[in-house]
Amino acid sequence: MREKETTIYLGPQHPGITGNMMVKLKVTGDTIVRAETHVGYLHRAFEKLMEARTWLQCFPIVCRICVPEPDPNEENLSRVIEEIEGREVPERAKYIRVLVLELSRLATYLLWMGGQSGSMGLYTMPQWTVGDRDYILDLFEQLTGGRVYHMYIWPGGVRRDLPEGFGDKVLKVMDYLEKRLKDYDDLLFNNALFYKRAKGVGVIDKNKAQEWGVVGAPLRGCGIKHDVRIDEPYEVYDKLNFIVPTYEGGDVWARAMVRRQEFEQSISIVRQVIENMPGGDFYNKIPNPLNWRVPPGDAYVKTESARGEFGYYAVSDGSLKPRRVHARGPAYVHGVSLLERILQGANIADVSFIMNSLGTCPPEIER
Amino acid sequence: MEVKLQVENEILDKIKHTFHSAEVSIPRKQRVEVKLRNDLIHPFLAYLKDTLGFKHLSHISTVDWLEEKEIELVYIVMNYDNLVEVIAKIRLDREKPEIPTLREFWPQVETYEREIHEMYGVNFLGHGNLTDFILEDWEGIPPMRRDFDTVKYAKETYFNRPGREDAQDVRTTITKKSGEEIPELAKVYSVRHLE
Repeated sequence: MREKETTIYLGPQHPGITGNMMVKLKVTGDTIVRAETHVGYLHRAFEKLMEARTWLQCFPIVCRICVPEPDPNEENLSRVIEEIEGREVPERAKYIRVLVLELSRLATYLLWMGGQSGSMGLYTMPQWTVGDRDYILDLFEQLTGGRVYHMYIWPGGVRRDLPEGFGDKVLKVMDYLEKRLKDYDDLLFNNALFYKRAKGVGVIDKNKAQEWGVVGAPLRGCGIKHDVRIDEPYEVYDKLNFIVPTYEGGDVWARAMVRRQEFEQSISIVRQVIENMPGGDFYNKIPNPLNWRVPPGDAYVKTESARGEFGYYAVSDGSLKPRRVHARGPAYVHGVSLLERILQGANIADVSFIMNSLGTCPPEIER
Repeated sequence: MEVKLQVENEILDKIKHTFHSAEVSIPRKQRVEVKLRNDLIHPFLAYLKDTLGFKHLSHISTVDWLEEKEIELVYIVMNYDNLVEVIAKIRLDREKPEIPTLREFWPQVETYEREIHEMYGVNFLGHGNLTDFILEDWEGIPPMRRDFDTVKYAKETYFNRPGREDAQDVRTTITKKSGEEIPELAKVYSVRHLE
């Protein structure tokens, strides 16, 4: 009997989808013949809104571009403004920024571990990791006043200095997370079930990866060593010691193992930052923010976020407001053209599994 | 400084040698900026990708220069070997922005072009799939153009519907309740002020 081709709509509301988006699947039996991404459920026209606001008023907007990981947005926008303006940032502020970015990376990886294992039916992991992520959110709350959205990094430095005894608290959380990593290993990363389930699923062709625009952990999971922190060091990453792990295979398992190693590296970076934190100013004051004109010009800066290259292209025409701010998120490529491509031939049950491993984030596609 | 920018200068020389009309500059380390004639963007990106090894397309951005009646397309491509990023810019006529598609170069270009077509009204000839991406069934001027009035659109679409007569201005509601005045400073950015 010939199998009939059926159309399935996965999303926009679906527990396996990482945000509100829809994947239209053409399937025969359990196998996907063609996948098509449909976005537009989360479009809030952030880039348009920014054109009608002063530079500083853009900050509460940009952190909403990616919910699980808002800090690279703030850091990028600050840095792109600083680059157009030629503003110097104090050394202490740079260290604090790296601290915030790495804590945010750890929080994102914890959330990802939950999502990745939840999408294969291993529900103990999300319970653990989401709970452990709260320790990092507690740190953010003390530092910035906000748990998820911080609006803490801004042009010229950061908003406030570190609270007293904050370093010790961070180190305590790092010790705890390092201890917990053994539990995560036992439950997920060294789990034979996970290996069997993830090996050979959602494979990205190594030879095509760069051309397809793959970045971040998926690229390193193909065995290609590329990390913005090394290639184009920003803030103080050139003064810190860390390695960039790579794995061969290009499948979900390789991407998971890359992230697991990076988790360890991030803990080490946070420790180095706390140890080497210099004194001095944390903010190079900008003039009156209500009448602050950024000189005409444009710049492109990028950050290695937990999901890959995150870039901002901004244009100033010398007025109070930006002429254009364009946010380039890794999910724009990963969630649309790449996802459509690697879902061909995959099993229906693997869709959210693959989506999670690519770090798809719909608000970042639509902005 | 000269020694540090060696790679950038080599790329600059190669581009200048091949494309005589291009304006090339080095804004900073690891960046080369190129301003091109419209019809040269295809051969230029082909040259960058195939001959100079710029394989990674970071993104395509668009800037609307309303006063100059032009739409600028910005292509940012990167070379993984020497880690230099080239920012290529072209300017299209705002009245009838048209350019052949770049789909065959990178698969992700399809998404970018669909979005730019939708948001800025740039027509990519030969694209074949310029369907709705984010918006649904949009009529009128493309929303990301500078002359699109967001406040007017929001008022027509959201504010004056029955049951929303208070026009959703939270500040006015708070002022009425508490009797406090809105400070002058805040009025500048209030929705009421824009009316």
